[in-house]
Amino acid sequence: MGDPLFFLESRPQYRLSQGPSHLLQSVIAAENLTKTFRDKKRGLVRAVTDVSFHCQPGEIFGLLGANGAGKTTTLRMLATLLEPTKGSATIAGYDIGSHPQDVRRSIGFLSGSTALYGRLTAKEMIRYFGQLNGITGSTLQQHTNELIEQLEIGEFQDGRCDKLSTGQKQRVSIARSIVHSPPVMIFDEPTSGLDVMTSQTIMAFIEQCRSDGLTVVFSTHIMSEVERLCDHVAIVHHGKIAAEGTVPELRSQTGESAMENVFLKVVNELEAENV
Amino acid sequence: MFKHSLSLVVFKKEFLESIRDKRVILGVIISPLLVTPLLMGTILFFAGKKEIEKRQAIIDIGIVENGSFSELTNWLEERESTKTSHFPTKEEASQAIQDRTIRAAIVVSKDAQTQYQANGSAALEILFNASNENSINGLSRAQRLIRQFDEFALEKRIRAESLPESFASPTEIETTNLATSKSTGSLVLGMILPYLIVISAAFGGIQTAFDLCAGEKERGTMETLLVSPASREELVRGKLLTILLISLIASLCAITGILAPLAFGLELFKDLVGDQISFDLLSILWMLLLVIPLALFTSSLLLVISSFARNQKEAQTYILPFISVVLLPAILSSVLGAESNIYTAFIPVLNISLTMKQIFGNLSEPLYFAISLSTSLLYAYLAMRLATALFQREQILFRT
Repeated sequence: MGDPLFFLESRPQYRLSQGPSHLLQSVIAAENLTKTFRDKKRGLVRAVTDVSFHCQPGEIFGLLGANGAGKTTTLRMLATLLEPTKGSATIAGYDIGSHPQDVRRSIGFLSGSTALYGRLTAKEMIRYFGQLNGITGSTLQQHTNELIEQLEIGEFQDGRCDKLSTGQKQRVSIARSIVHSPPVMIFDEPTSGLDVMTSQTIMAFIEQCRSDGLTVVFSTHIMSEVERLCDHVAIVHHGKIAAEGTVPELRSQTGESAMENVFLKVVNELEAENV
Repeated sequence: MFKHSLSLVVFKKEFLESIRDKRVILGVIISPLLVTPLLMGTILFFAGKKEIEKRQAIIDIGIVENGSFSELTNWLEERESTKTSHFPTKEEASQAIQDRTIRAAIVVSKDAQTQYQANGSAALEILFNASNENSINGLSRAQRLIRQFDEFALEKRIRAESLPESFASPTEIETTNLATSKSTGSLVLGMILPYLIVISAAFGGIQTAFDLCAGEKERGTMETLLVSPASREELVRGKLLTILLISLIASLCAITGILAPLAFGLELFKDLVGDQISFDLLSILWMLLLVIPLALFTSSLLLVISSFARNQKEAQTYILPFISVVLLPAILSSVLGAESNIYTAFIPVLNISLTMKQIFGNLSEPLYFAISLSTSLLYAYLAMRLATALFQREQILFRT
């Protein structure tokens, strides 16, 4: 299989002029995002506390943290799936609280757990999400055909999604997430549970998004992915941002070279402070 | 415009997926259109056949008489449908019943002949075994035979006393049925069809409803859908419309499954509805109209259950209250008369079911109809609002 993502080169580039002028510098701006929820056993749980960060155009911003650190909750708030208890965020100039539908139209969302509709064919799946994003008629036809050709979905485009291999499903998921050409991509542990080959496809796709000027927010607990992809990293622990910076900056701050050690040092220091 | 078109986009996709679901096709279309009529036909065929065999069969009846009532025994022996066997004692006749060589036995008292000849009543005893279906049948045959003998004997006594034939019948009754065979058929259909329509409309959407919400959570597609620009209301509307349509198809198939064999005049079904099988097309159309608010109500309830449940298995455990809400009024409607108290028009499911019954019975009650229709629409709206409210709650949507 050739480079499955070369199609992105021909896609229209995201223009900053699409958003309001005061947000030209940050395509994603999160301010004090906080999420609490009530749990029967644990009482009031603070899943995310005062998380703030900014993503510049064409940047990959990584949220690095262990399971349960609050990464998914943060991304779900950005994607308007969860309503913040406190704080706010804008994506492509749209406020997540007041313009949730515009925010959703501006993002592509891909996670390791998002599945496909088993009884739809690959082509129907792509078309459905194009239609949900308001694309119709010949534009939808053109987008769908381009994605089918460029992601090499053609040979299984009429096959039902539940009959596809993991790699094929992942290609359809990618097509589904970018059919509406969003300026922002959100990836929530996208390689979780995938084999090495399929993970590489996803990683290449994320890199291609950056090359095309898309802004990417990406959560993971895999250090090698952070080192390879992220321009900016926020280490999240117990719902808070414990450290933030570029990978070299974080290395310098902690005096560690391996990303794993950087992470552990930041987390241990925070634990020690809390004690 | 955009909002409506997104509901339509969701609906088209959900409907396409639903009709590709083999479980839905089997439960909603194949079963009511083919399996139910076949099953009913088979049951009625064999039940009818057995009944005919039961009526025509020559049955073995024992007699314990010892010459004390020859007039009865001679009369019995002349019957072609009966084969009589004589037993010297009651114990031996009892043993023969237990051994199933005879079905029942008539034990004649010693002074039976004397009593009979003196215009008195001859004492008879019938032995049978209530744990044996054939023996119970033998009992009813023996009773019928004795009643026939009584008529024969009474006629003889009247003749002997030179009394008029009317002596044994102080009154003479003649009944005149004002109903046409068509309306008789409608009455029977009116008892069966509303029940059937309510059940099929309510239960026909279960599989689809569970698949559309609880199933989405289970398979991990819900997050993919929620991150699309479609609003929660649009998603609920699209999903609800799908469940509604599947429920209506289920109902239509159930009606067709029952009416088609009747329309073709199958002999097996003819016995159920009278000599002339016919039904008013207008009544059927009214019923189809009435089933819409009912199906909207039950579809919304199913969507509420499905939205609340973590997965399809959990949804199945919540279905019991729903079954009660639907089944009890449906059963009640088949027992209650069409002219019911106006208060019943406020009870969901029961009101529509009874209105259907009234339509079939040519009973025009505009007030009942209006209340029934408007309250059903109100309940459907409230259930729909509840489903939408649940769909807004992130605790519900992200329960795993």
